[in-house]
Amino acid sequence: MSAIIRPFGLLREYLHGEKEAMVEAGQTIRQALASLGIPPEVVALVLVNDQPQEKDYRLQDGDVVKILAVIGGG
Amino acid sequence: MMRLYADSSKCSGCRACLVACSLNLFQENNPKKAALVIEAHFPAPGNYKVRVCTQCGACAEVCPTGAIKLNDRGAYYVDMAECNLCEACVPECPESVMFVRTELADTSWKCDLCGDCVNVCGTGVLWIAETEAAVA
Amino acid sequence: MNGYGGQILRVNLSNGQITKEPTSPEMAREFVGGRGFGLYFLLKEVPPKVDPLGPQNKLIISSGPFSGLMIPGAGKCDWTTKAPLTGGYASASMGGHFTAEMKYAGLDSIILEGISPKPVYLLIDDNKIELRDASHLWGKGSMVVEKTLKDQYGEEFQVAAIGPAGENCVSFAHINHDYGRQAGRGGVGAVMGSKKVKAIVVRGTKSIPVADLEAYRKAGMELFKACKEAEMLKEWSSYGTTIVVSWCDEVGALPTRNFSAGSFEDGKNLYGPVMRQKIVITDKGCFGCPSPCGKYSRVQRYNTYVEGPEYETIGMIGSNLGLSSIEDVAHANYLCDEWGIDTISAGGVIAWAMECYEKGIFTKADTDGLELKFGNADAVFKLIEKIAKKEGIGALLADGVKRAAQKVGKGSEKWAIHVKGMEQSAYATHNATAMLLAYMTCDVGAHHNRAWAITYDLQVGRERVAPEKVARVIWLQHFRPMFDVLGGCRLQWVELGIDRNLYLPALEAITGIHRTWEDLELVGERLWNLARLYWMREIDGFDRSWDLPAPRFYEEPPTSGATKGQITRFEDVQKLLDLYYEQRGWSSQGHPTPQTIERLGLQSFVN
Repeated sequence: MSAIIRPFGLLREYLHGEKEAMVEAGQTIRQALASLGIPPEVVALVLVNDQPQEKDYRLQDGDVVKILAVIGGG
Repeated sequence: MMRLYADSSKCSGCRACLVACSLNLFQENNPKKAALVIEAHFPAPGNYKVRVCTQCGACAEVCPTGAIKLNDRGAYYVDMAECNLCEACVPECPESVMFVRTELADTSWKCDLCGDCVNVCGTGVLWIAETEAAVA
Repeated sequence: MNGYGGQILRVNLSNGQITKEPTSPEMAREFVGGRGFGLYFLLKEVPPKVDPLGPQNKLIISSGPFSGLMIPGAGKCDWTTKAPLTGGYASASMGGHFTAEMKYAGLDSIILEGISPKPVYLLIDDNKIELRDASHLWGKGSMVVEKTLKDQYGEEFQVAAIGPAGENCVSFAHINHDYGRQAGRGGVGAVMGSKKVKAIVVRGTKSIPVADLEAYRKAGMELFKACKEAEMLKEWSSYGTTIVVSWCDEVGALPTRNFSAGSFEDGKNLYGPVMRQKIVITDKGCFGCPSPCGKYSRVQRYNTYVEGPEYETIGMIGSNLGLSSIEDVAHANYLCDEWGIDTISAGGVIAWAMECYEKGIFTKADTDGLELKFGNADAVFKLIEKIAKKEGIGALLADGVKRAAQKVGKGSEKWAIHVKGMEQSAYATHNATAMLLAYMTCDVGAHHNRAWAITYDLQVGRERVAPEKVARVIWLQHFRPMFDVLGGCRLQWVELGIDRNLYLPALEAITGIHRTWEDLELVGERLWNLARLYWMREIDGFDRSWDLPAPRFYEEPPTSGATKGQITRFEDVQKLLDLYYEQRGWSSQGHPTPQTIERLGLQSFVN
């Protein structure tokens, strides 16, 4: 029962260069991010299996979560 | 035989393909000298239509000087040295992508299937594949 | 000249004289293009303290070395003038296809001077350049005019036009192009209107020369390849800037009810995916853009077609006015575009008026009977038209929020959200000190596109005030505006995150001049200081008080949302400025010191 968190851009820094991290399913994305040391508020976009989702979404087994921060604004 | 395809619904009208095309055909930055066309339909219905060469060969059939030839990609191209600007090819083109504009160039021009337009298109409008006839 | 159209077009509207002069290679080397050319001409040619709407002001339209070439996002056009909105510097960036077209016509800058005795439009068809009668177009909406002229001249022509607001010299009138791209900020449309120029129509069929064709093609292809391989290309292209609406709402950066908060309880109705599903029909890109941020929409309820709304409009017309329907926001966006006003300033000034109404300073007697409450979409639609026509309360609001608040008084200056007279764009900055400083010190007033630092604020501590934060803002102020100088778009770097070093071999192959990013950032620093000198030249007593933000951000903590109870302390506001001036080499009043002017080689622009 696990999901994959895949950060892009500057969020990679929080995983010290790793391209993805395995997290437990059942928790919210917000909780999973915090457990990885990624401040949830820095994450601007969350895609679960390529669909936009909120950070309170509860992870299911096999979910692939892409996360993105905004470096430049509008 | 290969040809260029376009899915107009994905086009955002940026015209990068036109510049890339003119750079291939004429080694110039000049989208007016491109061999594909983007029509913008605004404000309504608010979409773009892309017209590309299907490599049907109608232009080559009517060319009196034999200037429109097959290249090693299997595409019809204009041998610019042999074009006499008679314009016989222009009305034959079912997609209106056979060009003669004497104010811009002293030759006709058309798509030679170089693929540069595909390479610059960011939204996946364009691709090169076998012609439907060949697939069938 | 490699990488350039090669000529500057000068149109004297007072006497109808049209002349061309070669683009100066020295200017191109030092100022590169776009905003650089605009500021150069503004400082050199427009006399001090002229009336922005008078014959001595000039409207300077410039492309850059990337414009019209095979470079991602090479469709940015700079419009520089003395700003009717602020009395200072205006440089508005417009996307679309206009800048490419003027370069194919061989033009690096178009300079409009004087005032025409009657309404005209400028027709540029390669070397055929004429002023034509525009009396039949006067009074018409900007997109109606574009359609009329495109139907008349053909698809190959590009059109930039003002709406009635520009004709009426509304101080935040914009210039509209390509059915939804604008030179938006500072009132550039009012300057065009004051000159009685309804539109510019341009076609060019010339080729743009480059220094090393093969190296340029290779470098250009590398840039497109990097964009196409960017991991989030599909997401950015699907949502454009609306991708950030939900996040701004979450972190308290979404302006809500005149910036009284940074989160909107109905924000969810305005998020990017909702908009995409409800109204977007076509992705629309500027010239050469592989990641089109333009979302072209159809609003069935109003039978309206509009490009957008993008993030800024959703923030300023949506949450900032309490509007919770994306259809209403899109329709208001359409009205702003057609009538010819900037959505950001419109949202700012209407929000101020709504707050005046809710606080009892305005009654229906002041608002021409409009129930000017937050959330009243119908009142917003009517106000947009009134502003454009300067009718009733619209005449007051047409002057911009600073002057309107000065006129009305009664404490309303406190909730006039602007810096230097320019309404703040759509990032609430109660507790984001780097972003607050970016707004305070931006060279045109409270605009976000020079420096944007909210993610950075969140990463390093949003309330922190430290030298490295200030250094970050200064670096962004030098780096990001260079895209407006080059005639390109920053979003491929900003959004797709492509390596900025990929631009350098392209720029060298195009112009034949080797430049590093350090070289370009030095150009950026010179321009930043020149803009400052311009403000000092135009406004007597221009000092650090002009860099202060709206009091709301240091006096009134939001009572709801993510930034509830949070503000920036006034002493920290002052400390931010102290650090900023010190790092820039400016005096404690925010004036570049003689040493700084000398270090940057700007002596010829002083006195």
